[in-house]
Amino acid sequence: MNTGKKNVSYKDAITEIEEILKQLENNELDVDELSEKVKRVSQLVTLCKEKLHHTEQEIDKILKEMDTNYN
Amino acid sequence: MPAKLQNDYQCLTLGMMNEQLKLSELNGLVKKAIGEAFTTPIWVICEISELKINRNGHCYMVLIEKDENGDAILAQAKATIWSYTFRMLQPYFESTTGQQLTEGLKVLVSVSVEFHELYGFSLNIRDIDPTYTLGDMARRRREIIARLKSEGVADMNKELTLPLVPQRIAIISSPTAAGYQDFIDQLTNNPAKYHFHLKLFPAIMQGNQAESSIIGALEQIYRYESFFDAVVIIRGGGSQVDLSCFDNYNLAYFVTQFPLPVITGIGHEKDDSIVDLVAHTRLKTPTAVAEFLISGIALFDQHLDDLKNRFAENIDDLLTSAKTMVEQYARSIIPIVNDKIVKVNSRLNQTIWKFDNYVKVFIKNQNYQLSRTEGSLRHEFKNFHQLQLHRLERTTRVLSVSSQRISLINNDLLMRKIQLTEKLVRNILSDNLLYLELAQQKAQLTDPFKILARGYSITTYNGRALKDTDRIIANALIETKLHKGNIISEVKTIIKEALK
Repeated sequence: MNTGKKNVSYKDAITEIEEILKQLENNELDVDELSEKVKRVSQLVTLCKEKLHHTEQEIDKILKEMDTNYN
Repeated sequence: MPAKLQNDYQCLTLGMMNEQLKLSELNGLVKKAIGEAFTTPIWVICEISELKINRNGHCYMVLIEKDENGDAILAQAKATIWSYTFRMLQPYFESTTGQQLTEGLKVLVSVSVEFHELYGFSLNIRDIDPTYTLGDMARRRREIIARLKSEGVADMNKELTLPLVPQRIAIISSPTAAGYQDFIDQLTNNPAKYHFHLKLFPAIMQGNQAESSIIGALEQIYRYESFFDAVVIIRGGGSQVDLSCFDNYNLAYFVTQFPLPVITGIGHEKDDSIVDLVAHTRLKTPTAVAEFLISGIALFDQHLDDLKNRFAENIDDLLTSAKTMVEQYARSIIPIVNDKIVKVNSRLNQTIWKFDNYVKVFIKNQNYQLSRTEGSLRHEFKNFHQLQLHRLERTTRVLSVSSQRISLINNDLLMRKIQLTEKLVRNILSDNLLYLELAQQKAQLTDPFKILARGYSITTYNGRALKDTDRIIANALIETKLHKGNIISEVKTIIKEALK
């Protein structure tokens, strides 16, 4: 049963946000890049929050399949 | 005891074996001998091999002793605990050991040795020393732990990393257990409304079948290993509950080898079972497991919020400082610009003044040159004009003399041509008159009317003169023109050949 990489997206998302924050705090970000980075961080945070609070159809499907496989 | 049996017994003990006995008499002798040999209860170490409780609350057991390897049975005896004693001994034993009085346990029991003529040899248990069992269990636990450690597997499950957000949980529990339902409710209705993906893999959670049942559930979960984040083994209940199935080598070994982190909440306040020891995370109750999972996610969520806030603050700071910088630049640039303007202005004024002078000199020079050029041009032009006038006069004179001469010559030529032409025309006219008269005579001879007058006629069909019979058809109307008058006739016969 392969369902893709579980949880990797949480880790990836956090890592990416931390990376951007680090750049920001070290003044490595150009003002021109800001708008793009703000958009990206907001997108990642929303993605995580969504995953934390809501079910995913794909997962429900797999759980249902288990019922039919489980004896 | 009857006198006869008394004698028999004495005979037996004296080696007088020649007398025949009934079986009951023999059993009676054995009973008597045993009764006299074991007058007080004796403490015996043994293992419970079978245990049954009947409807009256009496407990029937088979006690055994195995050899050191635990393979061969060296001794075996039936045993009983009468219900009155059992009602006291069982809770005492179980509260002290935290262990159900059940098969497979090693016990130290105080027994009276009994023999019944009909039912044979048995031991009646009067008392039980739970501390021996505790010690034995502890020893066995130590042995299992030592074995797991020597095999290098004891910490293997702990070395797995619990995912950042343990959200997909495989649960091993009994679906009817109170602890299970509480666990589900707690995770489903958590205050922060985190979503968990939960899947129950049902198993028997106590007694002798628990080991194989829980291992079976783990094997099922293993098939979905990549899907789940963690396995939770939970069971409701308090300190009285039987832990022995979790002190099992096979189950503990299976947990150490499991590829997902195993979290236990098997409800024992006092002691950790071996499964607890080797599990990734050991918690006391299902409730504690649920709290652990929720707080794990909350931690992640909090971290996410912190990052978000830090990010927002940094962005604000950056924008504010950028704005301040721009304003500073704007302020500092004004005097520089003003200064520059003044400088540029003065340079411009200087340049304008210089240019003005230069232009004035230039114009003066040009004016002078122009007036000089004008004077010389005027002189040249005057000379040229006179020369041209002179040439023109001469040409006019020559032309008028030539023209008079040409006109005299032309007049003479013309007169001669006119005379010649007059003569020529007169000749041509007289020739033509003669020819015209001749033609008129000829035409009178060939005039159709003159021919008709001589008896010829013209026949037409559809307005065209007929020269042959080709276009004529029978019954066609044809018209014959005579010198005087016309005939319209209908064709009767057509004869193609001409008359000879």
